[in-house]
Amino acid sequence: MDLLDLIDAVQSVADGVLFGATYSLLGIGFTLIFGVMHKINLSYAAASIGAAYASLLVMSVVQAPAVLAFVAAAAAGGVIGGLVYLVGFRFIPLANPLATLMSTVGLLLLIDEIIVHATDGVPLSYPALFSDVIVQVGPFGLRGDLMFVFALGCVCMVLLLLLLYRTRLGLATRAVSQQPTASLLCGISTTRVNVLTFVITGVVGGIAGAMTGAAIGMLSPLLSLPLTVKGLIVTVIGGLGSIPGAIIAGLIVGGLENAFQFFRGVSERDLYIMLLLFAFLVFRPGGIFAKSSGRD
Amino acid sequence: MLELPVLELKDVSKHFGGVRAVDGVDLGVARGEILALIGPNGSGKSTIVNLICGLFPLTAGRVVLDGVDISGMPMHARVTGGVARTFQNIRLFGQLTVWQNLWVAQNSGEQRRQNFGRRWFGGSRGARGEVERTLEFFDLAHKSNELAANLAFGEQRRLEFARALSAKPALLLLDEPAAGMNAEEIDQLDNRIRKVRDDGVTVLLIEHQMELVMSIADRIAVLNFGRKIAEGTPAEVQASPLVREAYLGTPEIA
Amino acid sequence: MDFYLGLIQIIGVHTLLGLSAYCVLLTGQVSLAQAGFFAIGAYVAGILTVLAQWPLIPALAVAAVVSGAVACAVGFPALRVKGLMLVVATVAFGEAVRLFFFNFTYQIQAGVLHLGPHGAEGFRQIRYFPQHGWSTLDVALFIWTVVALVMAGLWWLDHSRIGAVLRAVGEDELAAQSVGINITAVKVSAMTVGGFIAGIGGGIFAHYTTHIEHAQFGVVLATFAIAYPILGGLSNVFGTLLAAVFIQGFLIEGLRFMGDWRNLLFGGLIVLAMNVRPRGLLDAGTTRALRRLFAPRKERSGA
Repeated sequence: MDLLDLIDAVQSVADGVLFGATYSLLGIGFTLIFGVMHKINLSYAAASIGAAYASLLVMSVVQAPAVLAFVAAAAAGGVIGGLVYLVGFRFIPLANPLATLMSTVGLLLLIDEIIVHATDGVPLSYPALFSDVIVQVGPFGLRGDLMFVFALGCVCMVLLLLLLYRTRLGLATRAVSQQPTASLLCGISTTRVNVLTFVITGVVGGIAGAMTGAAIGMLSPLLSLPLTVKGLIVTVIGGLGSIPGAIIAGLIVGGLENAFQFFRGVSERDLYIMLLLFAFLVFRPGGIFAKSSGRD
Repeated sequence: MLELPVLELKDVSKHFGGVRAVDGVDLGVARGEILALIGPNGSGKSTIVNLICGLFPLTAGRVVLDGVDISGMPMHARVTGGVARTFQNIRLFGQLTVWQNLWVAQNSGEQRRQNFGRRWFGGSRGARGEVERTLEFFDLAHKSNELAANLAFGEQRRLEFARALSAKPALLLLDEPAAGMNAEEIDQLDNRIRKVRDDGVTVLLIEHQMELVMSIADRIAVLNFGRKIAEGTPAEVQASPLVREAYLGTPEIA
Repeated sequence: MDFYLGLIQIIGVHTLLGLSAYCVLLTGQVSLAQAGFFAIGAYVAGILTVLAQWPLIPALAVAAVVSGAVACAVGFPALRVKGLMLVVATVAFGEAVRLFFFNFTYQIQAGVLHLGPHGAEGFRQIRYFPQHGWSTLDVALFIWTVVALVMAGLWWLDHSRIGAVLRAVGEDELAAQSVGINITAVKVSAMTVGGFIAGIGGGIFAHYTTHIEHAQFGVVLATFAIAYPILGGLSNVFGTLLAAVFIQGFLIEGLRFMGDWRNLLFGGLIVLAMNVRPRGLLDAGTTRALRRLFAPRKERSGA
């Protein structure tokens, strides 16, 4: 391999890492919901894409600068998150994990179909910010839109960490995720914490959805399944319940994805990601930051 | 004690991080006796049960059953080898019926060697006779077809006891079987434990209910802070100043 | 008429897929790998009848054995993890299988035709049924004979000690171990049987559609596989059948007159069903009520 190929490879991985911020946010969302409810919300990525669509709807009604699309997506994400909790979790007994798993599958299909129904299944273009900017670092060119996505992702993560570790709400959330019954006895309303977790993760998801749209330049309901799978992958590679783990894992998955694509082509890319993930899960189920192989 | 003990713990330790839950305990359970293991809360009694049945690995020492070192064996193999247990907080199969709870527990070595086809594929009819006898003994026969989750608390405790016996153990570990029972139920429990012992099962009993312990235990071992501080007949243990200290605190501090 | 026969075929094959997930779900494990086993069955059976000119039944048998063997091999490492980790591990495996077939080409020349799997284009011309003069009715009857056999087998297992042990493991793994059940062996066996059944289903699927490609075996199909038993209820095998009829017959075909509103209703009804009947349409309570309805005397003497 000559130098030019190497430069191309590094370039491609760098792009992937920047886009990986989206996966990080989705991974955080899955992790937070799992932490608080001990349930998998399979509709999460679909809801995130739905929120990005909702922001397009807002933008078509109001004349506003493109940045506002992200704000609108965040708000819509919060609302959808609350609705998902109400419809898919609130009234289903917690002792029955299969029922909530299935209800979120139903919600995933429902959200996807609402999108298809509203847009006739045609992909819509999404406003990209700074797409004409390219920063030259030595032989590498960093795309402005991806850098913006990455920066936004980092800001979200910092805010989220502050929220979780510096506020009473964050304290309550962490308390519920560790000892639900004890928290209840201490006067924390688990229902309220649950709702708030869904709203907050919804906001994060909405931003992630908008970031995906901005980075790819368009939105399609076909994005929701791959994003669900990638989000779940990031969650487990990072280690369940670990936010720093999810952040790092998101960037790693983003980078690896492009690396495999560069070396093996787009059709084999995901095959290697899946095999790697399977090996990882089975031999290191505690995630990257686990002390040992986590087998009990 | 010429006969080989059923169970021997040899210098057994279990540390959780810096906590020495069990620290260098030696204990022998002779065939056919009821040995009670007592001690204040957090003294390591339940940990010992969990070490014997293999819930977690030992930090140091050996667990020997009938002369065979079982320290490294997985839980299910120890049951086949002859150790069965009950749980302090009841763990029944709630969505199975009462008699199915006993059916799935028929995993002694002898039961495993039976006709493979009949054991696994034979349907309920053949297995039922033996199960019904056990249920009769625990006064649960009339509840045979109920779901275990729908039983009253006392019945669930009895069912757990019955389920542990279904594997025909040589050694039975009872983890606080009297917790939450009233005087009459404790009386029945007392009778049943004696009866089980008379049928040739060795019993290791963990219990806080002193009246029951003093009434049925042949010998008592006392734990405090993960160490064995006394062992002997009920009268000897009651007389031991160390035991009083463990339960009541030293006079100076009290 | 052919439309209804086609629908009956689809329901039959999806019932097999659901039953394969049912076996695994009984032990409390959520496996999204069933679509992968289904795909393996489809490709193996297709290759055997088209490229090796085997008759159908042995081809299906080999497909089932291969799928079962793969399920067994995957089960050993995968079942070390539980819950969400297992869901993700099985998604990863299922997707890996799908992507393998996406990249898998093995063709032979037969006259002017190229036969065999061809990467992204898929595997066309699996024409065993038309070549051997099977009518749509014959195929439907054949599928439902297989479904009936598999259901009878599972019903029997369910009522033997195996069924009770599977459910015991599903309910409380620690308690199951402490009564002497080897939970690894039980879970891997359930996975193997599940893979075996999925292999049969996949093999039949390949032959009645005559054209298979990787995209058919994605996460959506895996989700459907677990949806049937969960929606139908795990108290017995008929729940899965009922849910397959409900989803494929009513939600997908029966509501066709609603145009594209149907798809909206589809997700919505699943959510509603789980809210109203969290233990499935045919849960233990309903089963008991039905049994009481049909055999009142026996039930009373038992209670």
